[in-house]
Amino acid sequence: MSDLLGIGASGVRAYQTALTTVSENISNASTPGYAKRTTDLREIAPANSLTANNATTTGQGVSVAGVTRAADSLRAADVRNASADLARSETGIAWLDRIETALTGNQLGDRLTGFFNAAKAVAADPTSTTPRSALLEQASSVANSFTATGKALNNLDADVDATADNAVATLNTLGASLAKVNEGLGRVTPGSNGAAQLADQRDAILDQISAISDITVTTDSVGRATVKLGNAGGPTFVEANQAANVTFARGTDGTVSFALHTQQAVSTVTPNGGALAGVIDGAARIADARTKLNTIATAFTDGVNAVQAQGNDLDGKSGAALFSVGTTPTDISLSLTDPRGVAAAGAGKGVRDNSNLANLDTLRTSGAFEANTTALISSNASTLANRKQVADAQSAIRDNAVAARDAVSGVNLDSEAVDLLRFQQAYQASSRVIQVARDTLQSILDIH
Amino acid sequence: MQIGTSQFYATGASQLGKLSAQADTLNTQIATGKKITAPSQDVVAYNRLSAIKQANADNTAYASNISLAKSLLQQSDTTLTAVTSQLQRAAELTTQAANGTLNDANRKAIATELQSIRDDLVNLAGTTDARGQPLFAAATGKGAVTQAADGTVTFDGTGEVPAIPVGDGTDVRATDSAQRVFGGISDGKGGTTDIFAVLSTYISALNAGGTATATAASGTAATAIQSALNQVSDVQGSVGARAARLDIVSSQATDAAGAREVDRTALEDTDISTAIVDLQKTMTILQATQASFTKLGQLSLFDYLK
Repeated sequence: MSDLLGIGASGVRAYQTALTTVSENISNASTPGYAKRTTDLREIAPANSLTANNATTTGQGVSVAGVTRAADSLRAADVRNASADLARSETGIAWLDRIETALTGNQLGDRLTGFFNAAKAVAADPTSTTPRSALLEQASSVANSFTATGKALNNLDADVDATADNAVATLNTLGASLAKVNEGLGRVTPGSNGAAQLADQRDAILDQISAISDITVTTDSVGRATVKLGNAGGPTFVEANQAANVTFARGTDGTVSFALHTQQAVSTVTPNGGALAGVIDGAARIADARTKLNTIATAFTDGVNAVQAQGNDLDGKSGAALFSVGTTPTDISLSLTDPRGVAAAGAGKGVRDNSNLANLDTLRTSGAFEANTTALISSNASTLANRKQVADAQSAIRDNAVAARDAVSGVNLDSEAVDLLRFQQAYQASSRVIQVARDTLQSILDIH
Repeated sequence: MQIGTSQFYATGASQLGKLSAQADTLNTQIATGKKITAPSQDVVAYNRLSAIKQANADNTAYASNISLAKSLLQQSDTTLTAVTSQLQRAAELTTQAANGTLNDANRKAIATELQSIRDDLVNLAGTTDARGQPLFAAATGKGAVTQAADGTVTFDGTGEVPAIPVGDGTDVRATDSAQRVFGGISDGKGGTTDIFAVLSTYISALNAGGTATATAASGTAATAIQSALNQVSDVQGSVGARAARLDIVSSQATDAAGAREVDRTALEDTDISTAIVDLQKTMTILQATQASFTKLGQLSLFDYLK
């Protein structure tokens, strides 16, 4: 009869553990990265001895074999890939959006139109200084607009650097944490609660890393993750308890790059997803916008100064340069301050002549500065619109991947409620077994 | 497929968030009256709007030039009418002076009147325009005409004042030089002279005395004044034609601006009725989603575990 007590006691212990696991699931229902756990119950097989080996031998009760984590590594990898793709697009969109603001904020196109139209007013009344002063004011606002747009793009560069530095710092911290988790996974008993906890942490860290860079992950038998940045051929970022260090660098030509440093070597990182790839995209876009803006600025200042040089000012002198250019092509300032200095007249044609302003109009058409400014903004805007569409699609893909993963590993409170009932009943029944065992033994002891 | 509890809430939050964002976009469109707030929302429309904006700004600049040119032409027209009446009076006086019955005193009186006509003409030639510039200025030179101490009048500068731009590739000359209005009269000897010299010569001839001289001089002067009248009339005709051309240019610009405004409205402005219907639809869906989310969220097996 003692084995009946033993069986009852094993049931009580086992279902206590099972109830603990269910409670753990319920309390972590909304914990990010938590994968639903189930208690593995196993029958204690009868001892396989000669005497016991007969038809009537029964088992010895139930025991807890371990805790299983409801996780699907393939679905988790899908989520990571989708997250990396989405993070790249979203980071890129943020930069494109800011480039759009930088390019449109100073209304360069409007200022250029204002400048050329002010010249039309001078053509109507070349001898008066009032429209000439207005022209100089407009020239000054064009210069300011170019300068401000150039500065806005420079500020974006500084922001890109700050973002990249932050992302790299976060990535390195996550790498170090993952190395610690790997070390822990090497020590804990597989199938234990501790192992499940560490595996949860591992997957949460991998999710966070994949928002920064696309990764290829392989896990060994005890669940330790080896992470390569980029595709399977990329450099190893984390292996066992070793994490490498990623650095960000901006070259003298303005291009940005990432490198991975280990104790042995330095290798180049080529991220194709995550925030790092978005940073590379954004930096390239900013550089492209700056090149185009510089081209427009140079053509404009050179063109206007050349037209000025062709004509005569109100005092019959050859026109002086209107704009002077500083260290960068967009660093423009007004070098002509006297309204009489505007060279409206053709060379030697007298003060009332306005034929040189017609050259300015020709320059406006041939230089197409306003159209080029619009084209610069449009090219960025169409890329932005396109990326937004892509991001919408990628967002849906990511949502689906998350749903697929959570269908396996997410906690559903209703099913936990059912399990809670099931194990409660089993626990109560096991207690009853103990009582029956006692009663049965008592009935024998009661024989006088 | 099992739905994780956390996932159920996350999905609900994301759906409600999307609908709220959609409603907010529509609300902004209605409140601002603009469909496009950033170029990336509609690149094609942005391009066309930029072109329209530029054309509108050009139009404003041209409109102010057109109005200035019109006022200058108007002033030219008025001044030329005054010149014509002075010349007509001078022509009448040549007929009177040619009359053989007049004596030297009579002719001196005519000469005095002609002198005042000449002075008036010099003043008219020096008229200042709306810009404070000589109305009949040449491309170069300070004023239009200069009268020396001895009364000789010379034209300042040479060449015609350049035209004023009034449209893309269209320009109109708003003023004429004094040379064109008062000069270029045939002197009957193969050369050219101007109306001031003609009058000076004639006045001197009348003052000199003698019927024969006066009659001969009157004949020459009458021919010269007539050709001056014809010339002024030609210039005035040209001024009128240019003013008419400005009217056409100006009405074309107004039509084009109207057409651009129609385009702009279609591209940029919110279609209020559609937007309000869309907003109503979005709000209805949002409310329904909120209701169903709340209902589903209330379902829990734990409620039945007592």
